[in-house]
Amino acid sequence: MRILIIEDDLEAADAMQRGLADAGYECQHAPDGEAGVNAARDGEFDVLIVDRMMPKMNGVEVVETLRREGDGTPVLFLSALGEIDDRVVGLKAGADDYLVKPYAFAELIARVEALSRRRETGAVATTLKVGELEMNLIGRTVHRAGQEIDLQPREFQLLEFMMRHAGQSVTRTMLLEKVWEYHFDPQTNVIDVHISRLRSKIDKGFDRPMLQTVRGAGYRLDA
Amino acid sequence: MRLPRLLRTTPFRLTLLFLALFAAAAAAFLGYIYIATAGEVNRRADKEISREMESLQAAYRLGGPDALNQTLVERSVGERPFLYLLMTADGKRLSGSIEESPVADFEGHDEKWTTFTVTETDLDGAEIKRPARGYQVRLDGGEILFVGADVGESESYVMKIVRALWGAGALVIVLGLAGGVLISRNVSRSMSGLAEVVNAVRGGDLKARAQVRGTRDEYDELAEGLNDMLDRIERLMGGLRHAGDAIAHDLRSPLTRLRARVEVALIEAESGKGDPLKALEQALEDTDGVLKTFNAVLAIARLQAAGSAPDPTVFDAADLANDMAELYEVMCEDKGQTFDSEITPGLAIKANREFMAQALANILDNAIKYTPEGGAVMLRLRRRSSGDIEFSVTDNGPGVPEADRPRVVERFVRLERSRNQPGAGLGLSLVSAVAAAHGGRIELAEGAGEYDGRGPGLRVAFIIPPLG
Repeated sequence: MRILIIEDDLEAADAMQRGLADAGYECQHAPDGEAGVNAARDGEFDVLIVDRMMPKMNGVEVVETLRREGDGTPVLFLSALGEIDDRVVGLKAGADDYLVKPYAFAELIARVEALSRRRETGAVATTLKVGELEMNLIGRTVHRAGQEIDLQPREFQLLEFMMRHAGQSVTRTMLLEKVWEYHFDPQTNVIDVHISRLRSKIDKGFDRPMLQTVRGAGYRLDA
Repeated sequence: MRLPRLLRTTPFRLTLLFLALFAAAAAAFLGYIYIATAGEVNRRADKEISREMESLQAAYRLGGPDALNQTLVERSVGERPFLYLLMTADGKRLSGSIEESPVADFEGHDEKWTTFTVTETDLDGAEIKRPARGYQVRLDGGEILFVGADVGESESYVMKIVRALWGAGALVIVLGLAGGVLISRNVSRSMSGLAEVVNAVRGGDLKARAQVRGTRDEYDELAEGLNDMLDRIERLMGGLRHAGDAIAHDLRSPLTRLRARVEVALIEAESGKGDPLKALEQALEDTDGVLKTFNAVLAIARLQAAGSAPDPTVFDAADLANDMAELYEVMCEDKGQTFDSEITPGLAIKANREFMAQALANILDNAIKYTPEGGAVMLRLRRRSSGDIEFSVTDNGPGVPEADRPRVVERFVRLERSRNQPGAGLGLSLVSAVAAAHGGRIELAEGAGEYDGRGPGLRVAFIIPPLG
């Protein structure tokens, strides 16, 4: 997977590049907005990581320019501006996700993975299948190895999100954002409690746990 | 010296401008009156002189120079106000009541009107000069006849009126100037009060306030607006300073700890002792803690500084309450507590959904954190009789002593008991800041009371005004 990092802070870009390369991604770096737009036009990228405040052309302008030209590559905004209205501006400009600096690297990887996957799912699926876990999106039923699992509506949504991002790390913040649609910062482990509930339902009585805890990052659903 | 300063004030300049306009108008008006009246006096004199001239010419045509002479002599004696002079063709005086014609260069003019001055000697021997009009004609036989009339009396009457008008104009200008000075002084006193405040603030005195005189005029309004603005700025500055102090104070210790840990880990790693990975993990955790504190302090400071929440939207408070109930119910169960909720549906509020969620989450977090196992937490949403919307979370934990309640909403205040619990003491401060930013407040009270051997509990009410 190819990632374009548009970021003027060279040290931050370097750290990001090393980290992403380590995670198995191919990275290219553009030091300012203009260079970023040119690089994005020339190369085929799966995800763009765009800093909001840059010389020559700021992140919002970069994304607006690319979207105007019909480029639909998923964009992750990185910004020191973490206020809610900043987030709204970024998402309105056409970004797909928003990460506030300073961020945990695990969070960045998780979000990049989620974005890259999102692009592949074209057709509207009616069932999701991860290993022996099967989800019927119309009948709202879940089976593991043929055995029906009874889930509360929110647990269903939580599992659906995990299944759609099977094999990827998903952070607590992402879950709160995507499943509950809140962006606040819970001081306690409230998401962990929900996950552990879900885990007890889908893994209990089975030899192999599917819902994994990823240290320092969040969770991952493995087939 | 006050006057030069006064001269620079806008009201005084306006006064001067209006006076100048008025004076110009008055001058034009006086000029018109003068021309109209003085002209009328001359016209009337001219008409009478013409009539007299005609009757004299008639006498001349009937009886020749002798008859004219006779008539002149007769008419000079009477009370008639005319002056006569009959001269030969070459300008020699024949007869009449004056010695010399005021029409000096007679040559070439057969007829001529003139204005001249009559000099008389009154009873006291003083000379009196009076304006007069005259008309000179060459008669058919070549003789020259001059008829004049004294217009002094009428003219002096006109001049009296004109002088009176000038006097009135001058009086108006003087009074106008005096009024302008008074008004300007009054206005500039009000303005200089405001200017003093502005200068004081510019000089760094944020406590300076303009005096509101209670006259409810535009200056009072301006002063009130200025004071409100200064209150806001002072609060903002205070908030920022406090945030800076708080950040410095509260982040210094975790940062020091972090630094020490990293340093020790380095030393240990060099000597082959210790587990550098574990130290790094610990450092990462510490960093996250510092960032969380930092974010919370920033959020509080920004909310307090802004005075209002960004991006408010209208939504049903019950949706939010239900979301939070659903989110936190499992936490209660996990801790062996019972969770209950009473949520009144259909209460619309205009608020920032994220901040509201954060506030409720903080309250619920606190309740669950401090209530022991087997306790109970209750979330309520209702409309108060005052119309305000109230979210409340009641627990039956240890509660907060009444004396400490006002303190716990302050930043970084942690009660002795909670020292061993995680947290920075920012939760309720943020809740309070969110409430204030929505025009609301929080109220802390005792919970349901002591039962089952547990504490009195705490009831945290988050109150915001209803929609509209």
